[in-house]
Amino acid sequence: MSEETDGAMSGTDPESSAPESSAPESSAHSTGLQIKDLTIRFGGNTAVDSADFAAPLGRVTGLIGPNGAGKTTTFNACSGLLRPSQGEIRLFGKDITGRPPAARAQLGLGRTFQRMDLFDSLTVEQNIALGREAGLARSHPLKQLLSTPAEMRAVRAATEEVIELCGLRALRHEIAGSLSTGQRRLVDLGRVLAGDFQMLLLDEPSSGLDTAETEKFGEIVTRVVAQRGCGVLLVEHDMGLVMSVCDYLYVLDFGQMIFEGTPAEVRASSAVRAAYLGSEAA
Amino acid sequence: MRGVCTVNDLLPFLVVGVTTGSVYGLAAMGLVLTYKTSGIFNFAHGSIAAVSAFVYYDLRTLRGLPWPVALGVAVIVVPPLIALLMERVTRSLAAGTVATKIVATIGLQLIVMSALLAGYGGAALDFPGFLPTRTVTVIGVNVGIDQLTSAIVAAACALGFFAFFRLSAMGVRMRAVVDNPDLLELSGTSAFAVRSRAWLIGCWFAAASGVLLAPQLGLDVLLLTLLVVQAYGAAAVGLFSSLPLTYAGGLLIGVLAALATKWVSHSETFAGLPPAMPFVVLFAVLLLVGRGRLAEIGGHRPAPASKPLMSRASARITAVVAVLLAAGVPLVAASKLPVYSSALVFVLIFASLHLLVRTSGQVSLAHAALVAVGSSTFSHLVVGAGLPWLLAVLLAGVVAVPVGMLVAIPAIRLSGLYLALATFGLGLLLERAVYGTSWMFGATNTLPAPRPALFESDEAFYYVLLAFAVAGSLLIALVGRSRLGRLLRAMADSPTTLSTLGLGVNVTRVTVFAISAFVAGVAGALYASQGRSATGAPFLSYTSLTWLTVLVLCAGLRAAGPSLAAVLVAVVPAYLTDGTLAQALPVLFGFGALLVALYEARAAKRRGSGQPLDELDAPQGSRSGERLGVPGPAAQRLTVARRARVARSAPARVRVGTGLAKGATR
Repeated sequence: MSEETDGAMSGTDPESSAPESSAPESSAHSTGLQIKDLTIRFGGNTAVDSADFAAPLGRVTGLIGPNGAGKTTTFNACSGLLRPSQGEIRLFGKDITGRPPAARAQLGLGRTFQRMDLFDSLTVEQNIALGREAGLARSHPLKQLLSTPAEMRAVRAATEEVIELCGLRALRHEIAGSLSTGQRRLVDLGRVLAGDFQMLLLDEPSSGLDTAETEKFGEIVTRVVAQRGCGVLLVEHDMGLVMSVCDYLYVLDFGQMIFEGTPAEVRASSAVRAAYLGSEAA
Repeated sequence: MRGVCTVNDLLPFLVVGVTTGSVYGLAAMGLVLTYKTSGIFNFAHGSIAAVSAFVYYDLRTLRGLPWPVALGVAVIVVPPLIALLMERVTRSLAAGTVATKIVATIGLQLIVMSALLAGYGGAALDFPGFLPTRTVTVIGVNVGIDQLTSAIVAAACALGFFAFFRLSAMGVRMRAVVDNPDLLELSGTSAFAVRSRAWLIGCWFAAASGVLLAPQLGLDVLLLTLLVVQAYGAAAVGLFSSLPLTYAGGLLIGVLAALATKWVSHSETFAGLPPAMPFVVLFAVLLLVGRGRLAEIGGHRPAPASKPLMSRASARITAVVAVLLAAGVPLVAASKLPVYSSALVFVLIFASLHLLVRTSGQVSLAHAALVAVGSSTFSHLVVGAGLPWLLAVLLAGVVAVPVGMLVAIPAIRLSGLYLALATFGLGLLLERAVYGTSWMFGATNTLPAPRPALFESDEAFYYVLLAFAVAGSLLIALVGRSRLGRLLRAMADSPTTLSTLGLGVNVTRVTVFAISAFVAGVAGALYASQGRSATGAPFLSYTSLTWLTVLVLCAGLRAAGPSLAAVLVAVVPAYLTDGTLAQALPVLFGFGALLVALYEARAAKRRGSGQPLDELDAPQGSRSGERLGVPGPAAQRLTVARRARVARSAPARVRVGTGLAKGATR
């Protein structure tokens, strides 16, 4: 693996303007994402009610629950697209509750979208490259306008690595808007993997994928966590994928955290079965 | 006491404000209704008013029909025909992007305005009033019976319609078609029928406002169209949604404009404020109201772009050949050379607009104002301050940058239609309130603008302009291929996603507006120098609409689009010696833009890329907001029922294992 590629994998910045996230030694850093007392209300409706959970580095944490449980709402609050009514969101020990999405991303928080929010007019390669390039450009007008040779090399290296990792070589010059659902999922994942993110929020990544694609997806996620030591918070409905890749699970129902434990414990929980199937069935 | 206004002093202005404001309110209600039910903000709403007024004029004055017959045809018979057309066109546009929809209705407006200008001429005509003009005294103020009747008719229409909308079954269906047309179809009601009726009412209101306003203003196509544009401000007060507030907004704007007339009557600086008042209100509302309260209806993402028309190498060869051909123009153009010189300036104007609209997806309708700023600044610098010509041209671009950044402020908060309206309002505001001041063109509206001493002749100056056109186009091309260009194209697709990747998109927005403004400002300076005078007349706000329309018409040519647009705007009219053909050209532009918009919308529908515009960025509580995780009413009811069941049956949170979350059960 080349030096640039190493840099891309470990998330170091080529211009040594390393993000605040690059301090893996500290204990605050290893705590990854911590949510305390998160409450989100829309008018009189409480979508998420005093939720507490954590997604540390080095493992895949699952956030599951039936439709309408508040999982995506929680994700949107974590990534800054929604402002919580109360509670605290900490990333690597820093309070990010009031920060905008770009600032959170600059701290090392990346996310995918349930409905694969790709840049449809760009190619697959450009989509993936932007995962890294947007983070380098940040909020500096000059950095947005021009890239240094070192940055260009880093972007190229990160892009090549992710294209290889996700098996997108044959599609690299295709326009993203013309891809199938499965291909779009991979590009969405690839884009966030190309970024300099230590904490990844993956929102229903297997939605629309067939069994083989889902397995491939799970392998990629597992490999990335093992190689990079990053943390993943996974919202997912496919229990097969959840049970195979997640180290620890939180179960959300009607905005309330009703259970937490290992996949085996969750599988055995009557409370979780009741949430998914109804209390009578459980 | 001197300097203190008594109520009696203000009463005449209040009465005048209420009478005109009532008609604005009526027009604005029609506009909001059609927007709510179709998702299309009809920039041609004013043209409908103008058509009705001209139909009345034609039947009454030119054909001598009795006024009730002429009025009946103009206000009752003609609107349904227009409504049918509008419903058909807007239905076809449903899957289009915001820009597509805006351009389509601007195209319609161009068609109507140009056709009326061709048919009746540009001079204001006497409108044969049908209401008595004698005055009566109302609370101590003399008011014309025609004005009073207009206000009463408008108020009655507004109240009657509000009751209809709230109480009748059709009113309920009109509200339902906004929420979910498919569900309405499933319940056995034709969404087409509902929308048709909404368009019918909207067109009736527009027609009524046209014949009510025309007696006060005279029959002038542009004036009538613009006056109904004042309804945009009223619609903004109603947040493009509430009909009663929209009517109240019309009254507010009428009163504010009338009071401004009194307050600024002795100030030359603020003389342009009263006519600009609706746009002050429009701009202020869009800038100050929370994003959550401005839910856009029916916006869609841009369709995926297809692959480039030609390879990069072929494009370079084509560009070089085009420049060589342009260099040879002075040898063959003879007396038409100034036309080609203007075209070179328009290459810069369209290139800067292309960067903004096509590359970054920011629909700006204030571009003419930026060019005007460059034009007037150049004159002040080169004549007033005595700066060297080249320095003055470049500084004119620099001065346009902060104005461009001012235009960018709405872009930070708004997107799509609301950004287009805010920039249009800002452009109108500058035109009405600033163009005529000494800061820009002054009361005479004309300033001297010399050419450089060494390039006085048309031939020599042509090559100066060619150099600027090549340099400007190269600059825009370089930006397009730089990191910023990639970020801009991504921003056009999804700014929210880009921000979650770590980009400060607001900086990106301001940067692209600043670059575009610089090039536009330089173009303004060159335009003035080419004509040897700087004047605001070529840069009225409506020019921005035409430019956008022509640019979209040429968008299929990608990077070559700005050059073709420049040829269409500057060169083609000069070769149409037949006056009828020259007058028909804007009609053709309008038709072309409409057809391109319809084609793009149809292509988007075929591709199935009907995703709402940046729904992740949608305000809470909007329809898009539901996709963001905000439950809709039905979901909320379901949630309450299931929550009650869970509260009865589910245990408190169970903690198992060694999770890092707070351990206590709740």
